[in-house]
Amino acid sequence: MSNSLDQLNGSKKTPLEQKGDHFSFDAPVTEAVSVGDTIAVGFGDGTIRFFRPEHKPYEIKAHSGVVLCMVGCENSILTGGDDGRFLEISTDGDIKEIANFGSRWVDSVAEYKGDRVCSSDNFVHIWSKDKEKKSFEHQSTIGGLSFSPNGKYLAVSRYGGVTVWQRGKNKWSSANYSWKGSHGKITFSPDGKYIVTSMQENQLHGWRLSDKADLAMSGYPAKIKSFNWVGETPYLVTSGASEAVCWPFDGKEGPMGRKPVCVASGGKQYATYIEALSEENAVFIGFKDGLVLLSEIDEKKNSITVRNSTGSEVSAIVVSASRSHILIGDIKGNILWSLIKSENNEVKNV
Amino acid sequence: MENTSQVPVTVLTGFLGAGKTTLLNRILTEQHGRKYAVIVNEFGEQGIDNDLVVDADEEVFEMNNGCICCTVRGDLIRILSGLMKRADQLDAIIVETTGLADPAPVAQTFFVDEDVADRTKLDAIVTVADAVHLSSQLTDHHEAEEQIAFADVVLLNKIELVDEGALKKVNNRIRKINPFAKIIKTTRCDAPLDEIVGLNAFSLDRVLKIEPDFLESDHDHDHDDDVTSVSFVADNPLDMEKFQAWFGNLLRTKGQDILRSKGILDFAGEEERYVFQGVHMLMDASPMGSWPKGKARSSRIVFIGRNLDTMGLKEGFDNCKAG
Repeated sequence: MSNSLDQLNGSKKTPLEQKGDHFSFDAPVTEAVSVGDTIAVGFGDGTIRFFRPEHKPYEIKAHSGVVLCMVGCENSILTGGDDGRFLEISTDGDIKEIANFGSRWVDSVAEYKGDRVCSSDNFVHIWSKDKEKKSFEHQSTIGGLSFSPNGKYLAVSRYGGVTVWQRGKNKWSSANYSWKGSHGKITFSPDGKYIVTSMQENQLHGWRLSDKADLAMSGYPAKIKSFNWVGETPYLVTSGASEAVCWPFDGKEGPMGRKPVCVASGGKQYATYIEALSEENAVFIGFKDGLVLLSEIDEKKNSITVRNSTGSEVSAIVVSASRSHILIGDIKGNILWSLIKSENNEVKNV
Repeated sequence: MENTSQVPVTVLTGFLGAGKTTLLNRILTEQHGRKYAVIVNEFGEQGIDNDLVVDADEEVFEMNNGCICCTVRGDLIRILSGLMKRADQLDAIIVETTGLADPAPVAQTFFVDEDVADRTKLDAIVTVADAVHLSSQLTDHHEAEEQIAFADVVLLNKIELVDEGALKKVNNRIRKINPFAKIIKTTRCDAPLDEIVGLNAFSLDRVLKIEPDFLESDHDHDHDDDVTSVSFVADNPLDMEKFQAWFGNLLRTKGQDILRSKGILDFAGEEERYVFQGVHMLMDASPMGSWPKGKARSSRIVFIGRNLDTMGLKEGFDNCKAG
């Protein structure tokens, strides 16, 4: 009966919707990361909830306001909040305050092998093992932080471009990569050769680290809130359009002069979240209306509806490290948590 | 939970010492049963301590959108986006700006950023002015003039410290710069909060309800003041294409000097009134219901800015008449 009703509505329940656990919390999901097979979720009321296979979610109150940023470490997460606190939280829920900036928000965090980094206003602060805290001042408020894959560089986005800090034996040195406008989220390509930022103006900007050559990736109808590296090529898969826009970063020139691959064009609204399924050269794409699709990065293949639209913007999608589980969160505080791995180890059962 | 409605944002300007902090403390401490977040600047006066106070830096950046004077407040985009992730719905957000800051980038932020526009709306620009010092500030600092020019509401504060003649003089000075702002005279910023916050002054239908002055067409032009205002009335309908061509070109080429523009327009062949409201080069316009029955239709337009007498505004507007 309910099945036929669903079909009338044009939204037959997906396997994930049928078998997954649905939760509804009182605050928007702001961030989510995986730490092994634990998935940590941050909320707009300062709560962190840990989801583990075979367990009920475990929650702690970490911040007094919004959890603004989060990164996964080996056995813990780092979080920053609008209460000005920079925290390290073990997956068991032990909270350690690394710093407190009061009414200054902690807007972004990063980690590399024990180096714990946060930004607040126009400062970046680095806590390394057995070393004194270091603080770097920048010309404007910081939009995002990213370590290079080998940890040698720390890229800091801001107004007017990016400052790239290089780790030396005794001190860090910096280089400027300029491009007019406001730069937000930032990422290094997996080979460490490129840095890419999401800009205020509905476009991405990239630089080749070696010679500062510019890459402009534009044409988006909306701001790019989420991107992720996928597959061996690799592709930088991005939100901000009614499909997932995938830029190829192989070859000498990366995406320069090339067209992106566009997949998952079934969405009625703009994509807002991208999660990689690298081993299968595929991505989960979340949309503003709550729809979640799974698509291979191949324009000839059809995408699969993982979750039907709900009316609430997808603000997090995380697959656990062993790819056994997926968590989907939205800005109304709803979570769908489900097993995805089938017996032959392929993510099919969605 | 349901928090997708637009939260009104009040921009509070005024020179140091005019009484902004007094007003902010009232907003934060009075038992009004509402939840207000206040975004303060680092140069502000001390003495505000509250969980809902956020420190901002007033940094602006230029947009890469081809509009050379389009600067927006990056910190506002960041902070408003963050506030929208809160679990509790805010009743209003108040943005304090320093005395020397140009209010235009703040207003432009609400026109330019989609996420900000989705979840918040610019409610009103409120300028706190010191009845004792405003006249000399207007003479010495062009920022003071701009703050008066941009205002939807002017709180003329510390009136107990001036005599009646001086108060009238300062009131007239404000009127010359900005004929359509609402002026509220106060001591210790003691105006009812609902006359300051949650006004909806930026909504287009509000343009129709602005002070009666707005509808008068014969303001004094006082060229002693750098910032002036002009307004025109046309009793014959306008030609929409002609108007769009003239007005579009005007904002493109003179938008830096035009601080605010507002108008109600009667287009030939259109049943509905058209209303618009602009800040520099950015403008919002839309049809706003049919004309009141039994009253004559007419178009009215107001500009506040610099060098207005060099723009051929009257001729340009007259040339838009239909037929």
